[in-house]
Amino acid sequence: MMNLARWFWWLLTVAVVLWYSTVTLYVAIRGVLDIKYMLARLAAQRDEDHDRTGPPV
Amino acid sequence: MTHFSWWLDGSIVGLYLLATMVAGIAVRKYVGKVEHFLLAGREMNVYLGIASLAATEFGIVTCMYTAQFGYKYGFAGATPGILQALAMFLIGVTGFCVKPLRDSGAMTIPELFERRYGARIRWLAGVVIVLGGLLNMGVFLRMGGDFLLLVTGLHGPHLLEIMMTVLLTAVAVYTILGGMLSVLVTDFLQFVVMSGGLLVVTLLILARVGWDRLVASVQQHCGPGGFNPFVNSELGWEFVVYQLFIQTAATLTWQTCIARLLAARDTRTGRKVYTGTAFFFCCRFLIPGLWGMAALAVLGWAPLKTLSAGEQAALPAGVQAKIAASRAPDALGQLSTEEKRQLPPPVRDKLEKVSLQAMPRFLSTFLPAELMGLLGLLLAAMLAADMSTDSSYMLTWASVIYNDILAPFRRTRWSERKGILWNRFIVALIGVYLLFFGLWYELKGNLWDYLTITGTIYLASMSTLLIACCYWKRANNWGAAGAIIVGAAIPVAFLVIQQLPATAELARRIGPYYSGMAAYVGAALAMIVGSLLKPRPPLAPSGAAARAAAEGG
Repeated sequence: MMNLARWFWWLLTVAVVLWYSTVTLYVAIRGVLDIKYMLARLAAQRDEDHDRTGPPV
Repeated sequence: MTHFSWWLDGSIVGLYLLATMVAGIAVRKYVGKVEHFLLAGREMNVYLGIASLAATEFGIVTCMYTAQFGYKYGFAGATPGILQALAMFLIGVTGFCVKPLRDSGAMTIPELFERRYGARIRWLAGVVIVLGGLLNMGVFLRMGGDFLLLVTGLHGPHLLEIMMTVLLTAVAVYTILGGMLSVLVTDFLQFVVMSGGLLVVTLLILARVGWDRLVASVQQHCGPGGFNPFVNSELGWEFVVYQLFIQTAATLTWQTCIARLLAARDTRTGRKVYTGTAFFFCCRFLIPGLWGMAALAVLGWAPLKTLSAGEQAALPAGVQAKIAASRAPDALGQLSTEEKRQLPPPVRDKLEKVSLQAMPRFLSTFLPAELMGLLGLLLAAMLAADMSTDSSYMLTWASVIYNDILAPFRRTRWSERKGILWNRFIVALIGVYLLFFGLWYELKGNLWDYLTITGTIYLASMSTLLIACCYWKRANNWGAAGAIIVGAAIPVAFLVIQQLPATAELARRIGPYYSGMAAYVGAALAMIVGSLLKPRPPLAPSGAAARAAAEGG
């Protein structure tokens, strides 16, 4: 039982380190694209609003 | 002594701070509406959402209490992280509550409540959420400052206050100007820096301290309970069940989590953010937990070493011997009540905080001096963790104050400009509160108990209201009011009987786990009983009558 618990925590620790390293790299790349997309959409909205109502706050 | 180098480590930290400020302030120009300020115009996509949620939910305070769990309970201390990961994954996959909430288009949870329970319950829910949240975040600043000073080994009169004031001002500036947009962009940067620092330090610990030594240390100090929470004498099944309640309720209703769901482009994106971030909550407990276990393995259990030579010499020999013979993690466990009372308050405070401060003390000497700049990277990582948490907490609780507590004062429609100005003002006020409460209030007792009890004040009732709102047609404002009152009354009553000398022993016997579970069960029962007691309204002939019934009329 004790050995099973130790194996469980060992596997979980390995999974945590591997998953976190991979996700950090992946999110670091894809997150930049998400920010660009978000700002482009907001800029388009701002331009539309600006045409209708004047400059933003 | 630590090896903090002002020119190298200081430059790394300075560069990080500069990049954050520039990024945070640069996006200010995109804020044109209240929805931009509070929810980034609901344009957040999956990966930005994952980075933001992960960065927000990991602050220095998180690192401190999860490391304390590792130090006190070994691997079993990471159990809440596993439970939250499971809860978040299942909620993301099934869409339980989060789907109807995001589909509703509400800006906050209380706004959704108004549709089922009426305007008064919306206002009351807003008050409970803000009270619970602000009390919870009140301890963040001092904890962060304590950590930074311990790790760098810097000393000086009012250094903690000055450092945290500068840090909070920087965070407040970009949050006030850019709202959720600044929070998301800086969160992304902070996620990358924070994760880099966390991973490097963890790999160093595994390489230099070693897995076998960690396991042996946990076995020596905690026995089988260090690997299995069910057989740990201080945890047990009641701890696991209570944590299951808390972690599920937090995933469903904790304002900073929900803000990401509501800022997502659509419901599907919001659910993907939940499933994609779920496993991070395991990392959030296990990684600092490993740091805490490493502190136990390397520093061992030597509570007297935390005292200065003068403080130690002033203690009677018998008391010193008892403290030296105590078992981790309770340095005062062998002292009589009288002996405890005789300890000078600063000495007692230091001994009570041995387990909380073990990890930063360990890190201050563990990081190898030959790896130049590593301390700077760790500090930048922890500053990133803290700043992302502070900014998000300030903004999301401000959103409830504006959207729900001030709702009765906004009966006539406010202009977007006025709405944004008010939101900025509220964020600034929360910053001022955080500064004063955070720097002047010194926490007594266990940090985790404080956080869970103050969190339970709102989690118990809000999760009950949300589940009933989404899935029980009979739920109404009587049940909602009952759930809010009972959900807050039980944790507050427990805090009171804990503080009164006459009832302190009773509180100790009940313990925080049973009282916490009672709050969740009590809130659910109050919702059921209250809702069933209210007479059903007659079949409404018109929409106006239905609205009147919902208002309790």
